[in-house]
Amino acid sequence: MFNIAGKSYAMNVITPVRWYLAWLNKVIFYAALKIPSTLSGLITLSLIHYARWVIIGRNQFPHMAPEQPREQLKYSYMLFFSNFNGSWDQYVDSFTFSIPGGLDMFWKWNVRYSKSVALTPFHRYIQYNQLETQHYYNAYPLAASNDVKSAKTVKAALIAFDQELRKGTDAEFLARYNTLLRGLQHDMGDMYPTPIVSMAAYQLERRHQRHERQLQELKAAASEGGV
Amino acid sequence: MGSNISGSAYALTILSPIRNGVVPGQEIAFADKVRDTLQNWNLLINSPMTKVPQTYLCRYFVLDDVYTQSLPGGSALDTLIDFLPIVPDSLRKWAMPTEDHLQSRYLVFSCNFHGGPNGDVDGYLQGMWNAISSNIREVWGYCYGFEKVHDAASFATYMKQCQLTASLFFVGSNDEPLPEQLKALYLKQEFARFAVANQGLDAATVRANYLAFSQRVKPTDLNGPTWVPGQYRL
Amino acid sequence: MTKQLDLLDIQGNVIRAYGRFGYPVARYVFLNIRNAARARTFVGKLTKKVTTATQWGDGIGQVKKPVWTVNVAFTYQGLKELEVPRESLMNFAPEFAAGMKARRDILGDDGPSAPELWDPIWQENRETRDKDVHIFVSLNASAPGWPANGRDLIETSYEQLELAWQWLKDIVAQHGGGVVILGGNVGDNGALLDYQDCKVVMEQGKPTAKEHFGYTDGIGDPVFEGVPYDTDRVNGRGKQLENQQWAPLATGEFLLGHIDEAKEYPPAPNPVLLSRNGTYMIYRKLHENVATFDAYLDEHGSKYPGGKELLAAKFVGRWRDNGAPLVKAPDAASKAVFDKQLAVADKEGQDELLCNFTYDADMSGAKCPFSAHIRRINPRASLQMISEPGDPPGSLKNSVGAFDTPGALTNRRRVLRRGLPYGDVKDRTRDDGNHGIIIMMLNSDINRQFEFVQQQWINYGNDFKAGNDKEILLGNHSVDDRFPSKAVLQVEPTGNDTPYILSKIPRLVETRGGDYFFVPSLTALRMIAKGLIDPT
Ligand code: HEM
Repeated sequence: MFNIAGKSYAMNVITPVRWYLAWLNKVIFYAALKIPSTLSGLITLSLIHYARWVIIGRNQFPHMAPEQPREQLKYSYMLFFSNFNGSWDQYVDSFTFSIPGGLDMFWKWNVRYSKSVALTPFHRYIQYNQLETQHYYNAYPLAASNDVKSAKTVKAALIAFDQELRKGTDAEFLARYNTLLRGLQHDMGDMYPTPIVSMAAYQLERRHQRHERQLQELKAAASEGGV
Repeated sequence: MGSNISGSAYALTILSPIRNGVVPGQEIAFADKVRDTLQNWNLLINSPMTKVPQTYLCRYFVLDDVYTQSLPGGSALDTLIDFLPIVPDSLRKWAMPTEDHLQSRYLVFSCNFHGGPNGDVDGYLQGMWNAISSNIREVWGYCYGFEKVHDAASFATYMKQCQLTASLFFVGSNDEPLPEQLKALYLKQEFARFAVANQGLDAATVRANYLAFSQRVKPTDLNGPTWVPGQYRL
Repeated sequence: MTKQLDLLDIQGNVIRAYGRFGYPVARYVFLNIRNAARARTFVGKLTKKVTTATQWGDGIGQVKKPVWTVNVAFTYQGLKELEVPRESLMNFAPEFAAGMKARRDILGDDGPSAPELWDPIWQENRETRDKDVHIFVSLNASAPGWPANGRDLIETSYEQLELAWQWLKDIVAQHGGGVVILGGNVGDNGALLDYQDCKVVMEQGKPTAKEHFGYTDGIGDPVFEGVPYDTDRVNGRGKQLENQQWAPLATGEFLLGHIDEAKEYPPAPNPVLLSRNGTYMIYRKLHENVATFDAYLDEHGSKYPGGKELLAAKFVGRWRDNGAPLVKAPDAASKAVFDKQLAVADKEGQDELLCNFTYDADMSGAKCPFSAHIRRINPRASLQMISEPGDPPGSLKNSVGAFDTPGALTNRRRVLRRGLPYGDVKDRTRDDGNHGIIIMMLNSDINRQFEFVQQQWINYGNDFKAGNDKEILLGNHSVDDRFPSKAVLQVEPTGNDTPYILSKIPRLVETRGGDYFFVPSLTALRMIAKGLIDPT
């Protein structure tokens, strides 16, 4: 199993909801979508690439063949999937510190939810209900969500800047270039080497180093073969 | 209510029931075999998913069972009956969390991809089949109903039958096509280097250097130079 | 809700930065336990002399300010050797059990900071039992009679320190090999000493709050509930509230057995009497590469539009000469005004000027850059930031109301700071002299507080929208030429300045050793000494 891919961590949490309350939870998610301020904490935290909440009615587990036994569940279930940057502790802690109300709003309909404050019971609640990821793929393991967003800003700015490359004197060019730099002053952070945020991330880094050596060997073998 | 689409990003949630039983000739359950196969993907130099167009991030795991809640908790209903001055024992027992179990184990595939404003899930799934059908067979081959899958179209149909709808999909970064995002990341890294190397040079030199830089990095060319999907080294 | 701490049960170094209380020199001693029973008697003997956090006074029934102080702490191995019951040991934090060396990847102790290059005492620690660091004893000495005696401050206080050292050696000797003092602390010219010496940096015969790069240090330090002599220091040191006011942090952030900012008792070992009023201490010996620092500052100072001293201030977030914070004095002109105010202010007024500030009016980092030492280590409320479509390019603003409290991401990452500079800079053109800082951080959760700051905020910049860019002064800047470190010094987004990029930042500070310690309360010390701890 591996929960980490580069700068991202895959969290899966499954928690029971009383089936007759599941609709209420859906209403709250719907409201969250429609009332942007409810998500402003999440947006400001800026630690998430993508996250989702899925509510599975107790009769809604996929049934794909007659020979598959039917589920006979007493509860409905809420699945939470998140792709976040940083370590498990950082993520869970940042959430409870900054948006405890939002967490409670989403989870309080779940059986035996701990509430987000105090921290230790909340940690235990998440740990208890977490499902480990077997295989995690990330198209941009070197990038945090902030990097992806700032890259978009950089790209747009460079494309716009290209339009005027040849206009005016050199001095005018330099002034425009300096304005470009000023506009991108929060978007120039490096993305490599990836920091080690946990002992698991250290293991992952070692695996990548091994792969890197394998790749080099393959390349070397290929070029020898070519001669 | 609920939607898998946010902007042009799509949240695909698949729960495929795995057959109950033993892999013929081996002493291993189908679900454990699936898990072991996925585990092997971790040992490859990179994930098979690098080949599937438009995949931002995705994960696979096997859901063995649901958890029975035994921790103390303060959720909305958990403490309600305590408002009664005297709680009859039957009511106390009724309010205890019950034990629940799944009848099958499920292969969970949760994927975030670029699907466009209309959420082209068919296009994505067919692209996935076309890119990695042998890997797909390796893991989904042990699932109920997968015997009906023989091509890209039937794979998409099968997957949509296993699909669940997100109640809330939050996009915290970007919903552009993956090649745009990778190009942007490449440009960000290169531009930062350029800025460092050209600090303090005279106007004519910076300009000449920038022209050369722009020609080299080709800001609008998604074909290259750029980062490849899943790149973890510079 | 005013709460009063049991100051007589708390070790003095937890609450007091002795340097600020007139103790200009210190000696840190590390011991190895050879016999559990005798070591416990030794601890009992020490405990009788341990300096508490009580208020000092000369009146009847008051405790006099000591001429020299004694404090004590233990590593995980030390507690084990003292035969603290296994069940108690198992409830200590895992990173405390593992120790600093095992956490090297989390802490970024690589390249020249790697444990293989640490002082012998720290290299050998946790390798073989007889070289393990078990007990930490700190001695801080004052200079009675100074300056009236007309003598040198350091000399005068060293006389007292020698007395303290002699006292310690005597009681070690009295315990017949139960404990031994470990050597291997590197001193001047590579000498290996039985202790780590520290002293304030002197300028023209006067003690200063300077460290070897020339910065004024020892201003910022968290203030928390229950310390009677800190109540007038809360502005700028406590936690920032919605209404621009400051409040003391929860005691439990710094002392076990007290409610913390998450409204709970921080995780701590059983029994309660073992942990209550105790805390964890991170001891780190940090070498300062003064020649590299000077050369780098000169190189960029000559190019940087604001000049060398402003650039030096940008590294830390405060001006070197008097610690003026950049957010209050962002350029030479405002600095001149600040200096005048500081010159005429009384003690309280000075403290307000130096300490009471926020980053609220500097959300884009134009005054104090995001990679500056103090902004990284204590960002106050400035992590509640956002940029939205339509905002000026290059700007960030306060995302008002987004978080539960403005300091949500900061309040649980604070650390108390203790320690002093060590060594003298005899030749500023060389890095390899004996000079640096002994820093001791105290907090109730090493992983959540110190390690988080070290890993996420010093050696990584994502929370500051700076990608991987590290904190300028302490960052474990790349030693790989292909991936040089840099930092961007931001400017006003709507102005005409150009951000300045510090390129190829060298390693300015290197780790030379350290470990994680537990600082017990006086009650716990007495229990440990008697071998009477019942975790059931
Ligand atoms: C050689 C190494 C270091 C040097 C030269 C140094 C220097 C300074 C200076 C000049 C200040 C500003 C004065 C003040 O606010 O007190 C400062 C503040 C501070 N430093 Fe360091 N420091 C070093 C290492 C560390 C380390 C390793 C930590 C902890 C991880 C740390 C934590 C702090 C804190 C918490 C503040 C106060 C920030 C505030 O509350 O605004 N320092 N340091």
